[in-house]
Amino acid sequence: MATRASKLRSMVEALAPVQDGCTLAVGGLWFHNKPMAALRELIRRGVRELTLIAPPPSSFDSDLLIGAGAVKDAYLAHVSFEHLGLAPNFRGAVERGLIRLHECDEATLLGGFMATVEGLPSHAITSLKATEHLRTSPLIQRAGEGMVAAPALRPEVAILHAQEADEYGNVRCLGTPFADPLLAKTAGQVIVTVDRLISNGDIRSDPHRTTIPGYLVEAVVEAPFGAHPCSSQGRYPHDEAHFREYVAASQRPETYAAYLRKYVYGCRSHEDYLRLVEPPREAA
Amino acid sequence: MTAYTTKELMVVALARELRDGDLAMTGATSDVPVAACLLAQQLHAPNLTLILPSGVVNPAPGRLYRSASDGRWIEGAEAIGSGYDLFELSENGRLDVMFYGGVQIDRHGNINLTRVGNFRGPGLANISFAVVAKRICLYSMAHNRRTFVERVEYLTAPGHLEGGASRREQGIATEGPVFCITPLAALGFTPDTRELTVRSVHPGVDAEQVIENTGFELPQPPPWPETPPPSSQEMHVLREVVDRTGILREG
Repeated sequence: MATRASKLRSMVEALAPVQDGCTLAVGGLWFHNKPMAALRELIRRGVRELTLIAPPPSSFDSDLLIGAGAVKDAYLAHVSFEHLGLAPNFRGAVERGLIRLHECDEATLLGGFMATVEGLPSHAITSLKATEHLRTSPLIQRAGEGMVAAPALRPEVAILHAQEADEYGNVRCLGTPFADPLLAKTAGQVIVTVDRLISNGDIRSDPHRTTIPGYLVEAVVEAPFGAHPCSSQGRYPHDEAHFREYVAASQRPETYAAYLRKYVYGCRSHEDYLRLVEPPREAA
Repeated sequence: MTAYTTKELMVVALARELRDGDLAMTGATSDVPVAACLLAQQLHAPNLTLILPSGVVNPAPGRLYRSASDGRWIEGAEAIGSGYDLFELSENGRLDVMFYGGVQIDRHGNINLTRVGNFRGPGLANISFAVVAKRICLYSMAHNRRTFVERVEYLTAPGHLEGGASRREQGIATEGPVFCITPLAALGFTPDTRELTVRSVHPGVDAEQVIENTGFELPQPPPWPETPPPSSQEMHVLREVVDRTGILREG
């Protein structure tokens, strides 16, 4: 009998394709469903000069990668900690010109992903009118009367976090999938971290719940609480106290360096990190 | 009369602007608009549909979460849309109401979330809704001269642009901003020049306070009527059905 290949990988193995200068897309939205264990591992490994792409509302993921000096170019729309305030390192890096920010919005990002999915050079958009973004963004192409176009965005690698998957890469998003299924079809290689590995039998027992089918996925990494301090929707909420600590630490370079030492560089692995933080409360 | 917080008053005043049958969507940091939609559904707009920025459709009332994209909104909701559904909504004009706040909001309801001087703001996830949504309701927890300015330094999302017919002249067919709620007042727009104008000042706020804290000349001088305070029914439903844990009472 032929054996089906497992896509289950260690974190280190799975992240091998993310090399310096890579165009990397990160899934999730705001501080929800973010593959934080994977991003911490990349920072620990010292990855540099990434071109970062994140779906329109982004947060801790972008802020940490930028703060740690891993990002050179960024395609971002909105970056904030929502009700907890501004994203301090994103803000500082833009204000001081430390990254090259390509201003985006939902139409430019999702339109760009959809162009790639459709195999087109760009996706036409009629809804962007009269704004500074339209007037000044080099991304926006003219496309005839009353119409512009978003160029195709093709991340080399996308890293997503979901709640469950089997070893063949069949993924279940228990919360909002948001742009993750679209990103999975857009990126050259898709790496998914999950809180919990489930069996192929579980997947087959309810295929309607598969939000990303395995043929789109290169690697699955089991990482319990792998989104922490972000939420993993349907399993655990975000850790607001940790975000407050992070935002406070970001006010001075010394305190930010201490944050990175404690939570990123000081941990050899995600398991190490989990011993350091208050384990998030699982949803029933 | 029931006591209420400023946030609760803002929610009630905003809820009164929403119509039965509206398809409404909120953005980030939206406790006031989310609560207003849930309150309106209970009172006069049972057929209003609320979509959260994560794509969650018609979350169940019962309690509020501060993050509009919080996963806990999913329990009891009617559907979960994806990013693709939001792209669809931002292109096809299905949306009736969108809510926006601003780092700056100007005389004509234009929105700046991107930058002021060297200060870098959060940016805006979705500009398109300001173009395609039939109506825009503005809200701000800060009514001061830094927020309410003569002209936005950076036009993130279009309000009434230069005023008058300039929105239409730019090929935008929708109504644009119709309402703005702040901790001091409820504002609308003049029908001809499309300037922010005070409709009512909240109880306990005097007209001078509004004038001093607005960075442009208001087109219609006082006296202004008082914002009708929340009724006991509005407050009962708000506290017993929409916001049982009292998020809006914490400030």
